[in-house]
Amino acid sequence: MISLNDSGRRLSVLHIFKIYYPDLFGGTLSVIRDICTALKDKFSFGVLVCSKQGGRRCVVVDGVPVERVRSFGDVLSLPVAPTYPLRLWRRMAKHDLLALHAPFPLADIAFALGFGRGRPLVVHWHADIVSHAGFRRLVEPLMRRTLRRAEAIILSDGVLLDETPLLQEFAEKCHVAPFGIDVSKYDLPAKRHHDIRVGRGRGRLVLACGRLVPYKGFDVLIRAAVDRHFSVWIVGEGRERARLEQLISSLGVRDRVRLYGSVPDSEIVKLMYMADVFVMPSVTSAETFGLVQLEAMAAGLPIVNTSLDTAVPHVARHGIEAITVPPGDPEQLGQAIETLIDDPERRQRMGRAARQRATTEYSSATFKQGIETIYRQAIARKAESRAAEAAEFKTTGLLGAVRIAAALAWSDMRHRYVRSILGPFWMSIQMAIMVAVLGSVIGHMSNAGIMSRLPMLALSLTAWTFLNSVILDATTALQGSASLIKDRALPPVVFLLQCVFRQALFALHNACVPLLLWLFLVHADFASALAALPGLLLFVTCALGLSLVLGALATRFRDIKPIVESTLTLAFLSSPILWTPEMINQNSTVMRLNPLTHLFAVWRDPLAGIHVGMASITYALACVVALGLASAVTIVRLRKAAFWI
Amino acid sequence: MVSITLSHVSLDYPLYGAYDFSMKRRLLGRLINERSEMRTIRALDDISIEVAAGARIGLAGPNGSGKSTLLRLIAGVYPPSSGRLERSGNIMPLLGLSAGANLDFAAADNIRLLLRIGGRKPTAAIVDEIWAFTELDERMRQLPLRMFSSGMLMRVLFATATAFPADILLLDEWLSVVDEKFSAKAEQRLLKLVSMAAIVIIASHDQPLLRRTCTSIVALDQGRIVGTDRPRIHPVHHQDMEKQRA
Repeated sequence: MISLNDSGRRLSVLHIFKIYYPDLFGGTLSVIRDICTALKDKFSFGVLVCSKQGGRRCVVVDGVPVERVRSFGDVLSLPVAPTYPLRLWRRMAKHDLLALHAPFPLADIAFALGFGRGRPLVVHWHADIVSHAGFRRLVEPLMRRTLRRAEAIILSDGVLLDETPLLQEFAEKCHVAPFGIDVSKYDLPAKRHHDIRVGRGRGRLVLACGRLVPYKGFDVLIRAAVDRHFSVWIVGEGRERARLEQLISSLGVRDRVRLYGSVPDSEIVKLMYMADVFVMPSVTSAETFGLVQLEAMAAGLPIVNTSLDTAVPHVARHGIEAITVPPGDPEQLGQAIETLIDDPERRQRMGRAARQRATTEYSSATFKQGIETIYRQAIARKAESRAAEAAEFKTTGLLGAVRIAAALAWSDMRHRYVRSILGPFWMSIQMAIMVAVLGSVIGHMSNAGIMSRLPMLALSLTAWTFLNSVILDATTALQGSASLIKDRALPPVVFLLQCVFRQALFALHNACVPLLLWLFLVHADFASALAALPGLLLFVTCALGLSLVLGALATRFRDIKPIVESTLTLAFLSSPILWTPEMINQNSTVMRLNPLTHLFAVWRDPLAGIHVGMASITYALACVVALGLASAVTIVRLRKAAFWI
Repeated sequence: MVSITLSHVSLDYPLYGAYDFSMKRRLLGRLINERSEMRTIRALDDISIEVAAGARIGLAGPNGSGKSTLLRLIAGVYPPSSGRLERSGNIMPLLGLSAGANLDFAAADNIRLLLRIGGRKPTAAIVDEIWAFTELDERMRQLPLRMFSSGMLMRVLFATATAFPADILLLDEWLSVVDEKFSAKAEQRLLKLVSMAAIVIIASHDQPLLRRTCTSIVALDQGRIVGTDRPRIHPVHHQDMEKQRA
């Protein structure tokens, strides 16, 4: 499909994650927010998350509409929000790109169910599921499915690819876009710098930030503070709070270790300026990047981090911006912190290096550009593959003609009820009325039971209406489709086929009248109905042949149309449609010569349980053959139809 | 390989309706020995053109010079009376102004139907994309085309017709109805189509347009080729200029 990107409309992106502001603060969330803020001129964003708090379903956070799905608590770090996949499905259609922040198995379920197949998907791979190994094994197939259908996977650091076997399966889709940081946010005005005397003057304040969850390793940090002379402030909130409080009390470090609670971003900047050392004591690879570590670097803080096999020790490197210690080792952690606390000059040197690295290597502009490129490529790639899926089908040859004719006829049928007052089946109602009125009239003419006659009368009328409309339609079809023939170069035969298909669809609508009558008035006999099928096929074939021949003739010679019209009226009256052969003299010449008598007999007789006469079969077959030959000639001549219109 | 070859192609257009050509006349004519040959008009006379992939041919000439007829002949609407016509590649002809649209149907339905006629499965995403290209109001999508102005109609039809690359694109006075802004966009899309190894043949009275978009211009008069011209401004340069302007 050909598309120009400057189509004027901003593309819309839906971020899919488990939680968002204002319910929580944290690294992943700030990534989402930063993407939304940085690219707000290029894309319009929406966020779909879960929320335990209840409250309003839709809120606006920093100018981004956030829809929140009610969750009933967390199980295995996952919100229990049974309606989330459904709500996700309903939102997908409104966005041009889906951005899933993994891991989030609840959304994987929606993708595994095939929701949003048509939408491009980008996975921001924040972390693997590390804390629940058994659960991970369970959801790995789901995650794999999601990754397989994703257009791109965004990683914060190349090391994630090396360490995660699941990602290696999709290595060609993985793009590394290191998180960026707007360093200028961490320039504290010099004036205020003097006001803050807590930290840097005394040189003893250690800061750590993050949700109070096990993998952050804050318990290690608390243990590391035992018997040291520095103070620790832990900023953040979470379900581990009670346990950590208890640990602080039991270790007797309450005077130096403080759980600060969660604070807004602006406050964090201030706290960072007060602190002397930033610690990232995370213990598992769930900590993939440590965005807050980058923030601390931007604020010019020296770092103490852990040697996880994720991006953490790459962002702040051992000996340059950080001291890296083994995870989960309170002794070495405390030692490292103390080393820095005791050496103000080294602190300063590492702080400067940290800020330098944050400025040059992790610029927000690079991040923004990287994300934008990946998003746009994902949308383009999806559009391409969609276009390939919408693969052309043949439009030439007989099959192509039949296909187009069918599409046109179907559309005619759907539009038949546009601007109608009675809605669908008004034609059927008309047919029912006609059957009722004619039935009662004929009932008076003959003495036979009117009720038993009604189904056959209705069926004959339906068949006649079909034949009649096919022929009448065909006589004007080519002129009516002049534009498609002359301007789109469609073969004229398509439009004659269209007449047959369209009228067949209409006849199926009408057929509900005889069908109902049949079911209610006569005991249904399916064997005879089956026996009538070959005859019906002959009848329809004749209708097709007539439409081709007469349609072409009437377009070429304009006096054919009135002739056909009057002949049809005559044929209606002289054929056993309203009346049955038994009602009049069987051997009337007109009846015997009238081909319609036989074309009706070949399917009506088996239906009525009468044996079909050999003469009728021969006659009908002869009609089909003659019309077949005439049709073949017509199709050849139709090459010139464009001249006739 | 996409190509069109016409060698010494002529087309005699039979004139039905203009002359009495009934059975009576034929019988009487035979009786009084009058030659009752079918009256025709030579619409195209000994046309030879070879078009290779990537070519953009402009057809110029006064009204009745055979531009549209030639396009229709290439499209396969009219069979040539004599000469040889060879085409390879799928053809997307956009000739008359309504181009098969059904004015009573809603715009979106028309888009879907026209895509089907073109042999594409109309998915929601494709229709969305087409609608985005027209830059028309979202609400108008469900309005019948009857209510559209000719320019709006043209946007819808152009966007639909050019949504997918065709090997051969035939255009008859197509860019004249829309406003300037859309016209620029349409030209851009046409250039994109051409860049995908397509052949484009445009018939137009708009000489500057032809000079801008075509690699060569064929002048027709009374069904004959009276001249071929290669515009000096190559379209590729034009594209560059467009970029500079943007």
